[in-house]
Amino acid sequence: MVIGPNGSGKTTLIKCLLGLVRATEGAITVNGTAVSSDPAYRAAIGYMPQLAEFPKELTVEQLLRMMNDIRGARTGSTDERLFAELGVESLLDKRVSALSGGMRQKVSAVLAFRYRPNILVLDEPTAGLDPVSAGRLLDAVLRARREGATVLITSHIMEEVQRLGDRVAYLQDGRLRFTLAPETITSATGESALSQALPKYISQLAPHDVEGL
Amino acid sequence: MWKVCKYTLLDLARNRFAMGYTILLFAVSTGMFMIEGDNTKALITLSQVVLALTPLLALVFTIIYFYNQYEFTVLLAVQPIGRRSIVLAQFLAVSSALLAAFMLGVGLPVLAWAPGAVGATLLVSGAALTTVFCAVGAWIAVTQRDRARAVGIGLVTWVFLVLVYDSLLLWLMFAFSDRPIEPLIVPLAALNPIDLSRMLIMLRIDLAALLGYTGAVYHQFFGSTGGMVVSLLALMLWTALPCWWAVRAFARKDL
Repeated sequence: MVIGPNGSGKTTLIKCLLGLVRATEGAITVNGTAVSSDPAYRAAIGYMPQLAEFPKELTVEQLLRMMNDIRGARTGSTDERLFAELGVESLLDKRVSALSGGMRQKVSAVLAFRYRPNILVLDEPTAGLDPVSAGRLLDAVLRARREGATVLITSHIMEEVQRLGDRVAYLQDGRLRFTLAPETITSATGESALSQALPKYISQLAPHDVEGL
Repeated sequence: MWKVCKYTLLDLARNRFAMGYTILLFAVSTGMFMIEGDNTKALITLSQVVLALTPLLALVFTIIYFYNQYEFTVLLAVQPIGRRSIVLAQFLAVSSALLAAFMLGVGLPVLAWAPGAVGATLLVSGAALTTVFCAVGAWIAVTQRDRARAVGIGLVTWVFLVLVYDSLLLWLMFAFSDRPIEPLIVPLAALNPIDLSRMLIMLRIDLAALLGYTGAVYHQFFGSTGGMVVSLLALMLWTALPCWWAVRAFARKDL
């Protein structure tokens, strides 16, 4: 889980990881491949952006078929569980431009999980989703993790962080302040809920104290 | 890369502007041939329209289309596809769609009314200009963040190449008329793709009255065949260079 105030660099971090933004210094490797060298590494990543944008003229069905084609996925090899759970079936013949923000978010979630990626990168995945769909999406995350996937999630919702995260990275002004287990934070502050514990914990930190790296 | 090209083409096939462009070209061409009894004269008038119109529309269309495709581009950029393939595929798709529009809109009427060497040259140079300005448009679109600014730069580029450049050349020749300036003028004219295409057509028509002063000099230097080969090579360079710059800029761009 990656958390941090608005503008702390969570999305930028993800964009660097996906090769959308070039890092000004340092090198990023994914499964041993440098991000800047070979785009093939992205086949292992399922990505759900903060705001999903798709070509507006396509219907959802055309979009899914096109992504199958581009990903080189054979029919039957894709993961259709989230597709069924989020009810994307009923959106198939709709044009992307006619979808609401939440509907688009559902399609985006389906696309991220569909090609059975080893790495899931979800940028505020539940923002804009109704509670039922959000719950199903989080279940899918837990399922993917049990199946051995690495999941990187940014979120502002501490309940989510506490439920899903085994490690929490806190970013501030583009710097990593700490990486800790949620339990460490809660026990250090004596609060049971991370939403209470985190502000307390952060206020105790010295301005540029980096811990747990 | 071919998959990206395929889906971009499928999208372009439904694009209303591309259809409108085809119809506009077709209307202009057929209109010209029907009004003007003499097919060669009609061809000459048509070539003036083609030389001015195709660069403008190719430039503006490519720029606007690249911006409209932004979501698709970002979606592709997070897939296991290289940045080079994405921008090259989009360039290929847009240029082939515009080429198809040109061939249907101008090619068919020319073949129907005035088939022959002059007509063929008109089609070749129109097609070359379409590709060249597609490449330039792609380059502008990739390097500029703001759409309006990109279109503005496109329009300025067009005005400069279609109008200002020729005036500058004429002024240069006038200012240095007492010196042997021609060897300098020829490469200078070759730097402008619209001038080059004009040369291609003029050399074939062989009508001195229609040649600008630049054209006359050009004719004198290259004769018909030699000039043609050099022109075509220069036009290819005009496509390849902006295209390469666009690919390079896109590979480094933050999306």
